[in-house]
Amino acid sequence: MASSDHQGNKDPTNTDGTPSPGTSCPVHSHAAEEAKRNSLRKALVRHRDYVKISVPEGKGNRLPSEWWKTFIALFYAVLNLVLTTVIITVVHERVPPKESSPPLPDKFFDYIDRVQWAFTVTEVNGMVLVSIWSIQLLFHRYKAIIARRYFFLLGTLYMYRCITMYVTTLPVPGMHMVCAPKLQGDSQAKLQRVLQLLSGGGLSITGSHLLCGDFLYSGHTVILTLTYLFLKEYSPRSFWWYHLLCWLTAAVGAVCILVAHEHYSVDVVVAYFITTRLFYWYHTMANLQTLKCSPNNYLTHTWWNPVFNFFERNIQTQVPCSFCWPITWPPACLKNPCKKYSMVQ
Amino acid sequence: MKEVRLWTASDVSDWLTDEGMQEYMDALRNMDGPALLRLSEEDFKVSPLSLVTGDSGRQLLEHIETLRFTSHMKAHKNNNHENSNQANGHTGITLANGSVSNGKILNGCPKNGLHSKAVRILIPSLPEQERTPYPTEWFKTGVAFLYALSCFLTTTVVISVVHERVPPKEESPPLPDKFFDLFDRVEWAFSICEINGMLLVGLWFTQWLLLKHRSIIGRRFFFIVGTLYLYRCVTMYVTTLPVPGMHFKCSPKLFGDWEAQSRRVMKMMAGGGLSITGSHSLCGDYLYSGHTVMLTLTYLFIKEYSPRRFWWYHWICWCLSAVGIFCILLAHDHYTIDVVLAYFMTTRLFWWYHTMANQQALKEISTGNLFSRVWWFSPFQYFESNSNVRGIVPRNYQLPFLWQTMTSAWVKYSKLDSRES
Repeated sequence: MASSDHQGNKDPTNTDGTPSPGTSCPVHSHAAEEAKRNSLRKALVRHRDYVKISVPEGKGNRLPSEWWKTFIALFYAVLNLVLTTVIITVVHERVPPKESSPPLPDKFFDYIDRVQWAFTVTEVNGMVLVSIWSIQLLFHRYKAIIARRYFFLLGTLYMYRCITMYVTTLPVPGMHMVCAPKLQGDSQAKLQRVLQLLSGGGLSITGSHLLCGDFLYSGHTVILTLTYLFLKEYSPRSFWWYHLLCWLTAAVGAVCILVAHEHYSVDVVVAYFITTRLFYWYHTMANLQTLKCSPNNYLTHTWWNPVFNFFERNIQTQVPCSFCWPITWPPACLKNPCKKYSMVQ
Repeated sequence: MKEVRLWTASDVSDWLTDEGMQEYMDALRNMDGPALLRLSEEDFKVSPLSLVTGDSGRQLLEHIETLRFTSHMKAHKNNNHENSNQANGHTGITLANGSVSNGKILNGCPKNGLHSKAVRILIPSLPEQERTPYPTEWFKTGVAFLYALSCFLTTTVVISVVHERVPPKEESPPLPDKFFDLFDRVEWAFSICEINGMLLVGLWFTQWLLLKHRSIIGRRFFFIVGTLYLYRCVTMYVTTLPVPGMHFKCSPKLFGDWEAQSRRVMKMMAGGGLSITGSHSLCGDYLYSGHTVMLTLTYLFIKEYSPRRFWWYHWICWCLSAVGIFCILLAHDHYTIDVVLAYFMTTRLFWWYHTMANQQALKEISTGNLFSRVWWFSPFQYFESNSNVRGIVPRNYQLPFLWQTMTSAWVKYSKLDSRES
């Protein structure tokens, strides 16, 4: 009966602290259940003194998909991305020219000189991580739930970024940076810029990274860190080599941002910190069911707690690691791909 | 206990008292054992019994019924015992209460009503009840205090180092800031901020003295404040922001003069980094704002560890805190980003720490508990291992021990406020 879906249910020291009812495992196909029932019936016939006690079925699906919530999260993320782009365009107008406001002293820049092609490395790493993550997400059984979380966290992080970028404008980190000329009040050209930035994803590889001023904090670091955290969280524990590879990719990407003198050190540090904290916070709240009902839970003091409740209200257990062909057809789902780690970690 | 049939009137009264039916004592004053056994329902319908009974004697009749039964059984048993004793030559006689005496039938047994068989139940002494659930462990608080002190010292040293690297304001003008665009500088605003800060710290200190579990709470305060200042060291050090306004007067730079620098460090520590005390002359410590940290953190602690119903007190502290933070910006003493970041870090760390401390599930490492991945999880476990085994630290108040000897005339009080209120 060892199957990946029991990760949350079979754990004797149940992470959510509640006794896990023996509800039906979604991984089990109908055929297997039928066979079990038949054998049980046969056994009953043989021993007629058994009394059948009908146990009420579990309270339904503990991990409902609810795709409509995922689409709301996607919309929220896209909205925040657009907002970020608009804010970058606005802030660009306020960046002091590098002649009058030289780059700020930075400890990392003092030690390591600029390497020109390093930023390309960062962006390539970022694109690789995101594509691996998309593939992993596609094959995950509970992609609706996980995608929802990813979009929500991404959107929130970008929204925080909007605020920090907007209130104080840092000067360019290096004299090498080429900033597009300022458009004083030309709204149409600004709109064009916004579209160009969106279509290129803000990457300099695609030539859409011409605007300056979006330094605190670093969006590239956010993507690298968040994608790595999700990759690690929702893949089998035993794939340590996979986790190591992804970690190296993310770390190299983040360091190369600094090597390329494209962001200040504080941008990267703050981005890493905020991303990891938000990720841990959200997932701990989502994983430990006792927290949701506890009155001593200060985690509910954040502003996004109602949104969190909306998204995670019907998720009653930790999302197990379970993979499946994207075009779902129950018998075709891979059985026990994560078998090795389904024991207590 | 002797047989009911041999009871006198005083025995009957004693039995009524034992059973908790004193109301009948007067009415049944002259009743002896056999008469008691003959009581029936009809007797309760006439006075004097009808006047004293509330349930038409049902309870008393039940008790009498049981008495009757027991007396029957006893008679039976005694006969048997006597028979068996005579048969076996036992010298011991088993009394009705199960204890074996050496031949004497005791009449003076405790008149505990019908419970003729006294059974001794051993209650195991619970060790937890003797041990206090919230051990004070002042040693751990001392460790936390040292940690906070070392973080303050590190911060001061880092400020001194960073000061050397701040670009001169002519070369690197103040960065564009949205708040500065909207509000012009007000000169005296920073003093307000510092006064508010000192008030809040004073209030918190007084409140802390009055708490019962001060060692645990003090430990938490020191740990959180130390960690926040440690983070501040990191952000200050890696990137140096220019001065936020041309009004700043930064002390001259001492290139490599260690003695003068250490003197500066001492001066700053002594003054607490406040400009009121004249120790805030170093520049470069902008990201993020230490003043905001203190204002926010003291407010959070004050609110957390005071009774819920002191809403006016919470409101006053909130106002002090908010006005203080606003005045930092109004004085153009920090960028807006410094204040925003400081607020974010302080609140998140506070809530994170307290949620972890209040939930047993979060104090252990597990796959669902991602909070255990923070770097300070082991120190946290060290500090909070023994407290809150049963729940949160209650908000009990207690005068400090210095005052207890003087106020022997006053009644000591400790209030337990329900968290759910």
